[in-house]
Amino acid sequence: MSAPLLDARSVTMRFGGVVALRDVCVAQMAGETLGMIGPNGSGKTTFVNVITGHLAPTSGAVDFAGRPLLGRKPHRIADAGLTRTYQAVRVFRELTVRDNIATALVDAEAPLARAEVDEAIGWLALGGRLDAVAGGLTLYEQRRLELLMRLVQRPKLIMLDEPVGGLSSVEVRAMIGLLAELKSRCSVFVIEHTMKVIRELADRVVVLLAGEKIADGPPAEILTDQRVIEKYLGSADA
Amino acid sequence: MIDRILASRQSQLALFALLAFAVPLLLSGNRYFAFIAGITLVHVLWASGMNLLYGYTGLMPLMFAGIAGISSYLVVGLTSIGWSFWLAMPVGALAASLVGVVLGLPALRLKGFYFTLCSLVIQTVITLAFVYFVNLTNGDTGISQIPLPTLPGGASLHGLPYDLVLAALAVIGVFVLIRLVDSGFGRRLIAVREDDELAETLGIGVTRQKLTAFFVGSLYAGIGGAFYTPYVGFISPRSFDVLISLNVWLMVAFGGRGTIWGPVIGAVLLAPVPFLLQDYYMIKDVVYGLLIIGVIVLLPAGIVGGLVRRPKPDPEIVPATVGEGAR
Amino acid sequence: MSDATLIILLSTLTTGLMLGVIFSLVAVGVTIIYGSIWMPNAANGQFFLLASLFVWSATVSFGLHPAFAALLVIGASVPLSYLLEATLVRRFYDVPNRNISYFVLTLGITQILAGIFSITYGVWSDQFQIPPIVAGVTMIGPFPIANNRLAAMLIAGALLAALFALLRYHKYGRALRAVFQNRDAAALRGVDVRGIYRMSFVLGNAVVFAGGVLFACAYSFDLTVAWTMAITAFAIMIIGGPGSVLGALVIGIVFGFTQAIVSIFASPTVAAFSYLGAMLVILLFKPSGLFAR
Repeated sequence: MSAPLLDARSVTMRFGGVVALRDVCVAQMAGETLGMIGPNGSGKTTFVNVITGHLAPTSGAVDFAGRPLLGRKPHRIADAGLTRTYQAVRVFRELTVRDNIATALVDAEAPLARAEVDEAIGWLALGGRLDAVAGGLTLYEQRRLELLMRLVQRPKLIMLDEPVGGLSSVEVRAMIGLLAELKSRCSVFVIEHTMKVIRELADRVVVLLAGEKIADGPPAEILTDQRVIEKYLGSADA
Repeated sequence: MIDRILASRQSQLALFALLAFAVPLLLSGNRYFAFIAGITLVHVLWASGMNLLYGYTGLMPLMFAGIAGISSYLVVGLTSIGWSFWLAMPVGALAASLVGVVLGLPALRLKGFYFTLCSLVIQTVITLAFVYFVNLTNGDTGISQIPLPTLPGGASLHGLPYDLVLAALAVIGVFVLIRLVDSGFGRRLIAVREDDELAETLGIGVTRQKLTAFFVGSLYAGIGGAFYTPYVGFISPRSFDVLISLNVWLMVAFGGRGTIWGPVIGAVLLAPVPFLLQDYYMIKDVVYGLLIIGVIVLLPAGIVGGLVRRPKPDPEIVPATVGEGAR
Repeated sequence: MSDATLIILLSTLTTGLMLGVIFSLVAVGVTIIYGSIWMPNAANGQFFLLASLFVWSATVSFGLHPAFAALLVIGASVPLSYLLEATLVRRFYDVPNRNISYFVLTLGITQILAGIFSITYGVWSDQFQIPPIVAGVTMIGPFPIANNRLAAMLIAGALLAALFALLRYHKYGRALRAVFQNRDAAALRGVDVRGIYRMSFVLGNAVVFAGGVLFACAYSFDLTVAWTMAITAFAIMIIGGPGSVLGALVIGIVFGFTQAIVSIFASPTVAAFSYLGAMLVILLFKPSGLFAR
């Protein structure tokens, strides 16, 4: 068995006296889709912030593609092929879609070729909106643009923070379809509250509770695990 | 399509160059008007440098005039100990831009208002230093009778030739800005201005971009300061105080930040104002104050920016908490 | 302890306290406005001077009793604030990054007021002094202190205490603090956010005016006090933590004593330098300030 693509070992993050992450170990294989669930405030976004270099953890180690990540600046981590999206959608709102894409390409380590970019634009159905200002797009379009801006950088792993947040049920279904296809383009790590996303996409699920990993396994197993149901699903929408 | 824009920018630049050289020629009969044109051309250069920082990088550096002043005082000092202006000028300008990079370091940690406040503090310290180091700067009295640059052959650069040198500087300044902005560098700066965290996530080295912008912007300030000084023949701490920074900022904001021609137009319209008000010198500050308020309230995108429609900002992304501007 | 040492000590103590309460007062006014509206009022020094000069005019030119003039000027700040709020301030309540817009706007106001003062008051006099509210001198041991200064100090202290109580216990104070913390959450809880904005602008300016008035009653002053006060108040606000009334209070007093002590050995410029330096350090290393909530 080969080494994992992402290997986070004993990651601990303290803010003053508050422990946001305690000894969290998460490994993800290349090609695998890993889901992460947990109640609000359980440390999911903090985990992504640590991995992508936006926060320096109190202790622990993170390897990506066999090389240590900790201490590297976010833009260096992006260069290494690890990228992320944000819980609240984030695009350059004042720029056109075309300029957003161009900005994503400007410092990409291994950018897609022209034709591949066009193909990706077509896949995400943004071809008709290239000259629109990103801030004027619908939320669903902005989510797709966000995805596109990562894809043109040819990432090895993309970490999605609640990719269907705020979408209508029709859009959620469409987005799940896109994410299922995304799996053939790169490895996917996904934080979600919507169980449907996790159930349909994830090969494996990690459950965080109050900063600690309490379960790790295939969705079918985890989502029926008594502890998880009690701690989390019992109080949330299953 | 990009080629078409470039082509049209080229023709715009040609038109500007034509005007920049023609105006001093046409005004050469009247030294006073030609002098106003020369000062305006220096301000075109300054406004372009400020535009790179404020318009494209999104930082409002109120120590801009201080940096120009450092270059200016250095050039005066070096020429007084026997250096040629043509050697002192690049040395002074380069030194000033290195200082600009050092003073820009806070920008790596601070954004928005906090950076601006910090730059105001720095400007105040620079001004106090100009006043305080009397044996270098002659304090509040200032330095007068600054010698003109000498040309090969011993003649001094003055009158129309000096005006034309300033015109060339302004044209080169705008040309370089166009090239920078149209390059990947410009795209990175805009990304930093719009959302620096997102820029970083997309692989853009924000720190390096900001420092480079500070170097280039300060170089504009420094070169402008170096050429301004012998042209005017007199400098004092007041020549480079925070009001001057604010005036250059106003040219950028009034004309349209983040556009090439807005700040140029702003400089052309505003730089002559003090001369027009010379007989009413006392109300100059009041006029500038009213202009600042007018721009902020009525023309937040400037004259040129107002023509290009911008999308309405989404009120939901307004940071509501105190201290949000700092990282 | 010799009398001379005692006098120096007592003089430093009273000067420090006097300057401290004035600094605190102005900084509290500035921080109330920043904390709620997110408006860094660069013109606070000019507002301070405006109040001082108006009191001077009312007493010296129009012959009013200084106490009456003081109340009149503080009262006049209310309609002035309403006017400014309605014409300029209100426009930016929903602008993103409005603090920088406000900063530039108030720099513009600063330039206008400074220009007006220099072509009016600046032409009339260099130094301004108003007749004392109360006459006489009180002896503290061997040290004489003018009753007038003592009164100004006590009034400033009382005002600070009243402000603190208002913000802590009154309904308005609680609403104001809710807006400080999170304006959206406050709006959801039924707080009239815009009303609070307007109130804090009016209150903050009234406090700054009160500072100017009390300063004018206690000391003679010139036009440069506007610039010094603007820097000092900003430095206090940044160091104490923008929006923190307690921070403004504590750091204001600290600054007052710093100034009093530094003035014994060096020029007040050194004090100004030290404020700028301290502000720079805080900006760079702890921009949320020492008393951040």
